[in-house]
Amino acid sequence: MKIGVFVCLCGSNIAATVDVETVAESARGLPDVAYAKAEMYACSEPGQAAIRAAIEERGLTGVVVASCSPRMHENTFRRAVERAGLNPYLFEMANIREHVSWVSLDKAANTRKASELVRAAVEKLRCNRGLQRSRFDVHKRAMVVGGGVAGIQAALDLAEGGLTVALVERESSIGGKMAKLDKTFPTVDCSTCILGPKMVDVAQHPNITLYAHSEVESVSGYVGNFSVKVRRRATFVDWTKCTGCGLCMEKCPSRKGPDRFNERLATTTAIGIPFPQAIPKKATIDPDACLRLTKGKCGVCAKVCPTGAIDFEMADEMIEEEVGAIVAATGYDVFDPAACAEYGAGRHPDVINSLQYERMLSASGPTRGHVVRPSDGREPGTVVFVQCVGSRDLSLGRPYCSGFCCMATAKQAVLTRDHVPDAEIIVFYIDIRAPQKGYEEFVNRAREEYGVRYCRGRVSSIYRVGDKTVVRGADTLLGAQMEVEADLVVLAVGGQPSEGARALAEKLRISSDQYGFFMEGHPKLRPVETNTAGVFLAGACQGLKDIPSSVAQGSAAAAKALVLLSRDKLESDPQVARVNPKRCIGCGKCVSVCPFGAIRLVETRFGTQVAEVVEAVCQGCGVCNVACMDKAIQLDHFTDDQILAEVNALCREWRVAN
Amino acid sequence: MADVAALRRTVLEILPRVDLVIGWQRGPDALRAAPLLMRNAADVDRLIWDRTCVHNLATFLPREKGKKVAIIVKGCDSRSVIQLVQEGLVDREDLTVIGLPCDGVVSQAKLRRAADMDRLESAEIGADHVEITAAGKTLRMALDAVMPDKCLSCAYPNALLFDRFVGDPMEPPQQRQDPYARLDAFEALPLEERFDFWKREMSRCIRCYACRNACPLCVCRDYCLAESRQPHYQSQESDVREKWFFQLIHATHLAGRCTECGECERACPMGIPVLLFKKKLGRIMTELFQYEAGLDVSATAPLLTFQAEEENIVEKQWL
Amino acid sequence: MSGMACSELKIIGFLCNWCSYGGADTAGVARFRQPTDLRIIRLPCTGRMDPLFVLKALLGGADGVLVSGCHPFDCHYSSGNFMARRRLEVLARFLPVLGIDPRRFVYTWVSAAEGAKWQAVVTAFTETIHELGPAPRVLDPDDAPLRFKEGREIWPT
Repeated sequence: MKIGVFVCLCGSNIAATVDVETVAESARGLPDVAYAKAEMYACSEPGQAAIRAAIEERGLTGVVVASCSPRMHENTFRRAVERAGLNPYLFEMANIREHVSWVSLDKAANTRKASELVRAAVEKLRCNRGLQRSRFDVHKRAMVVGGGVAGIQAALDLAEGGLTVALVERESSIGGKMAKLDKTFPTVDCSTCILGPKMVDVAQHPNITLYAHSEVESVSGYVGNFSVKVRRRATFVDWTKCTGCGLCMEKCPSRKGPDRFNERLATTTAIGIPFPQAIPKKATIDPDACLRLTKGKCGVCAKVCPTGAIDFEMADEMIEEEVGAIVAATGYDVFDPAACAEYGAGRHPDVINSLQYERMLSASGPTRGHVVRPSDGREPGTVVFVQCVGSRDLSLGRPYCSGFCCMATAKQAVLTRDHVPDAEIIVFYIDIRAPQKGYEEFVNRAREEYGVRYCRGRVSSIYRVGDKTVVRGADTLLGAQMEVEADLVVLAVGGQPSEGARALAEKLRISSDQYGFFMEGHPKLRPVETNTAGVFLAGACQGLKDIPSSVAQGSAAAAKALVLLSRDKLESDPQVARVNPKRCIGCGKCVSVCPFGAIRLVETRFGTQVAEVVEAVCQGCGVCNVACMDKAIQLDHFTDDQILAEVNALCREWRVAN
Repeated sequence: MADVAALRRTVLEILPRVDLVIGWQRGPDALRAAPLLMRNAADVDRLIWDRTCVHNLATFLPREKGKKVAIIVKGCDSRSVIQLVQEGLVDREDLTVIGLPCDGVVSQAKLRRAADMDRLESAEIGADHVEITAAGKTLRMALDAVMPDKCLSCAYPNALLFDRFVGDPMEPPQQRQDPYARLDAFEALPLEERFDFWKREMSRCIRCYACRNACPLCVCRDYCLAESRQPHYQSQESDVREKWFFQLIHATHLAGRCTECGECERACPMGIPVLLFKKKLGRIMTELFQYEAGLDVSATAPLLTFQAEEENIVEKQWL
Repeated sequence: MSGMACSELKIIGFLCNWCSYGGADTAGVARFRQPTDLRIIRLPCTGRMDPLFVLKALLGGADGVLVSGCHPFDCHYSSGNFMARRRLEVLARFLPVLGIDPRRFVYTWVSAAEGAKWQAVVTAFTETIHELGPAPRVLDPDDAPLRFKEGREIWPT
């Protein structure tokens, strides 16, 4: 190898505390180093030109640049050496700025350290080999998992952008949590009126295939080439025949099933359409409630259905989708306040959660929009809201702020005033968090124009006395204990990742945080990407957020997927694991530790098994390299020999220096 | 101990269905056995089963992969078989395991410290004693005094995995020695003495790799890192560092896999106590993961998996 | 560094590219002063960290080895740091049986944002290594007498 070493002064950034000439001089004594020179700014156009010129004129076959962090300029220099005809992987960097010149003023120590780092880089480079990027085809189709507002937005933008889209929704209708809301803050406009048209667009868009009542069963493949198995759960109604007329719902004799859409405030029929604006507007049978499916009797729906759509024999169906990108938009679940025994949710009928209250406020809800006490159906005189239930509570393992509840409470308080003009409305809160456009003003209106009384303090207990529900808490601003006799208590529950989020994360091979929210690629700079190429995030599954933010993220995720799939071919990173089949003993330890399922065992023509890496799936972590005992699998560009060369170089320096 | 006649009958019964049966035969003297590969009925006549049958025959299994093999195992040996099956290094379907009960073998290392075994004239192993005549001197020793530590601390006297079991299952020794007694004694030494102990012991190593070759779980064979040039983990120089580093390759490759059968140490011609490394790792596996290798064919080795919240790992805190 | 009796010692750091390597960069950008003993080797992930690299360094003359990766749940490759945690914890507990002071090896988690933490880690670890002094050499140039006291034998069994 013929190596050139370029030691950057970086103006005075390096040169002030490192004697770069000495570093270059010591590099000249290293094995295979044919040329070493100090450069004023190696990354500048003249600096890069000097490197290219040296490669061409001196026939260098490898380059080391000692300058800033490779996280800063590795790609810059790789491109530079590539333009001079060198393989970009025959290049190494020594970080003598961030790790040397900027962290110590001791010029002698810095110079020695920089020289040793250059030696390590040279020794590593001597073990490098040129790597080739390969190119592969992509499926110009995307999948969106979750049909809440974030998923709907992502699907519509992807479809408008020219991709075909498969939208998978677990419930029998898309719409998510937003479809359950009566109004939205801070504009107090009708939730269904703004969401409904988007839902209809999904149904009508020629590029969108909607799989409702379906779930992702498994995911294999890699960016550009995912293969997703979708389980279409049995609906027991042939949706190609169902017209959504609703006759079956009218006649169904089983009326005791829990109404999940109405948050169990009411019961519903075993067959039905969850809400009037449902998309698709198709009936589904709840097999746990249906008399025919549980007891073998009944079958009324089949008799009344004008199109003969009922099919009690229906089974789950598996569908295989080939997509190039996946957007996860699985949203959130509300916190179950039964975990806070002191608040009496589930025990006291007049203590409900905020999403149940939302259904109560809705004109299509179980009370047709009348605010009532569930215990006796009477209009409440005093309505108390309790904030931060299941949020900002370490004792529940939920230290995070759910973000949307302060505003949702303010909105519900305002709506309560509209529904019950004489009501006394009290909100217990810890802090008010209203940072977005128009939010703070809205909370102030609730206080000032709508006469909502805000008490700063936590509620300690809620208990029943006669037909009243007593809320006990402290008003920390007055420094007084408070006791309020309420008719209706609304717990502003926080959110948590939706059920099954962790399982989906595993299938998608993305990471979750300690609560189960999906991890973005970078908290600031890659907010909708994940660290698994081709998988993007939208909405509350990444972290709790309100509707505007969810919509924005839906569009952002769609844009990222469109950028990715705008190319006909993708290039793979060649820093992947590679198996030497001669060494491999086929024990499969690499297969079991690979976080990406990128390694499989294949049979050789001698009948033995050897590991094989699927290059496009491998992300290059190197976990397999360590698990392999005889080191038959090596991570290219970080092989054992390359790392050992660095270790040995740094250890040898000790012996020379002392 | 089980009756050798019954064992021979079992082997003869199995032999027609397999390519070979692995057992023991009489070795160079009355206190030593040697492995025996039986392919026909005549070979079976040479089969023995007594307290000299120290070899862990599981070592032969990986290299016979692909053949139908029957193997005779003691309790400790069976754990190596379990480990090999767990790791897919042998196919369970190809394997017939003949399990034995065992209440201890004799240790050549201990005998050698007591007598000049190179000039052994006669020996007799009784129910609770061993009597040897060597270099003209006769010595009678309690059986316990010449058993390997692993027998004195044995927790699994019966084969844990078997298709046929010959003999009656046994109870573990009444007063079991602590399996980590020797490790404790070593760890009680000051740190620098331990370091220098290894420096001295490793300088005696002759890089013969008998430890590796005897190890039932050293399966890399021709591609062992000790002699590999790519990757080049170590040089062929005969210095302490290279010799020691090889032991560390061996030990780290056995972490979470080693059943502490002791074959490495038994095979060492220089008498270097290399089992200490594996004992230490074994104890770490128990402390950290409540895991003992070679007990369950369906278990996952602790270093091939993880828990997001590790129960017994307290990470370094910086103040 | 004040309070350090001897001159520079040899400390080798193995850092994950996605977090701690960036954390060390962040510390540099912020000009957080650090002792100069540490030499950093960049890895794609602590999951790539073979315990043998640490042993190679410690037998090869390093006085201390520091491995730093992503906090739990932050791994770029989802579980590399979890795998590393097990491997490195086992290694840390193994060192004493070799007669190597376990304080000479530390693994920890530092994110790309934690420049100040990186400075604290490097400073504290370097101080520890200086307190311990140079590690005993496997190949002693002057063939110093063994400190092992004869008679305290550990026999093969």
